[in-house]
Amino acid sequence: MDLYQVLALTIAAAILFVIASLTPVLAIEFGGAETQANVWTAALSMDRGWIVWAALVLAATTFLVPMLQIVLLLWLLAFASVYRRAPGFAIVLVALHRLRPWSMSEVFLLGALIAMIKLSNWVPVAPGPGMWALVGLTIVLAILGKYEPRSWWTLAEPQRS
Amino acid sequence: MTLPGTAKAMGLVACRSCGLVSPLIDALRRGRCARCASTLHVRKTASAQRTLAWLVAGMLLYVPANLLPVMHTSGVGGGADSTILSGIVSFWRAGAWDIAAIIFIASVAVPATKFLSLGLLLWTVQRRSEWAKAHRTKLYRVVDFIGYWSMLDVVVVALTTALLQFKALGTAEPQPGIVFFCAVVVTTMLAAKSFDPRLIWDTRATDG
Repeated sequence: MDLYQVLALTIAAAILFVIASLTPVLAIEFGGAETQANVWTAALSMDRGWIVWAALVLAATTFLVPMLQIVLLLWLLAFASVYRRAPGFAIVLVALHRLRPWSMSEVFLLGALIAMIKLSNWVPVAPGPGMWALVGLTIVLAILGKYEPRSWWTLAEPQRS
Repeated sequence: MTLPGTAKAMGLVACRSCGLVSPLIDALRRGRCARCASTLHVRKTASAQRTLAWLVAGMLLYVPANLLPVMHTSGVGGGADSTILSGIVSFWRAGAWDIAAIIFIASVAVPATKFLSLGLLLWTVQRRSEWAKAHRTKLYRVVDFIGYWSMLDVVVVALTTALLQFKALGTAEPQPGIVFFCAVVVTTMLAAKSFDPRLIWDTRATDG
């Protein structure tokens, strides 16, 4: 995979992430009322007392970390595409390496599918645009995950022996 | 089987963040990786102790995580608390054995595998065991990889409480068990991250 392919996939991931965060992943319509949830609002529903700690962990792993990963990757790639070394290159690469185990978008997808099946016993629950975005995001992130940013160290510093 | 010496025995140290291999002398003098400025560790500091501490914490938290309810649902037929296990059982009884299996694997089998595997790794490393080193290294990678799937039930509870908010139909509320469960995932992940798989290979008297 060359640099431009990685850049294209990262832009795709950014777009899909925005859709998954703004549109409903799951929605229920019942008796005139409607509820919906997505990557961003799922954590917000657990705001009661000290259960907020679970919400914080969930928000960090399914929203904040994936977002940071995409932003940092875009930062590196935007500079690399014009043959420049991004400011903070070393810090960003180390951060990407450290963030990776805490990125849980695919867990959120599987959880959403299970929640959908679980709730469909009571109410008609429908997947929204966010669900399809989440499916796409999981696939794109899986492909990007195969690409090892560690290999960039050698690309960025050919002068070091 | 004769094994090649460890990097440490050859006077080398690899950076855990960027992979650069530096001479040990540099690491001792500077303490930081020449390329990415991460702290260099020949072996992770107090790896076994920290792993054990996180592991014990995770095991203790696992008890309330399973005993306390994770969710309270109330509807026309009255209210009910559900725990992780009762959730699995209700899926099973409803005939959804596949969903029950997925939640069982993520919420019960994965944490249990982590407790057993990390316990085994710690015990064998302490004894400087020569047994199945390559397989134990692989076991560590598996444990490190599967850990985060345990967050599955937290996602399911969060989505259910966000969606099931109908007075006429039923409402769902998160319960304290979910916080303990979240804590189990975080502590066991930190336990796996604290463990240094290179310790598996430090079995000669001159090592470690």
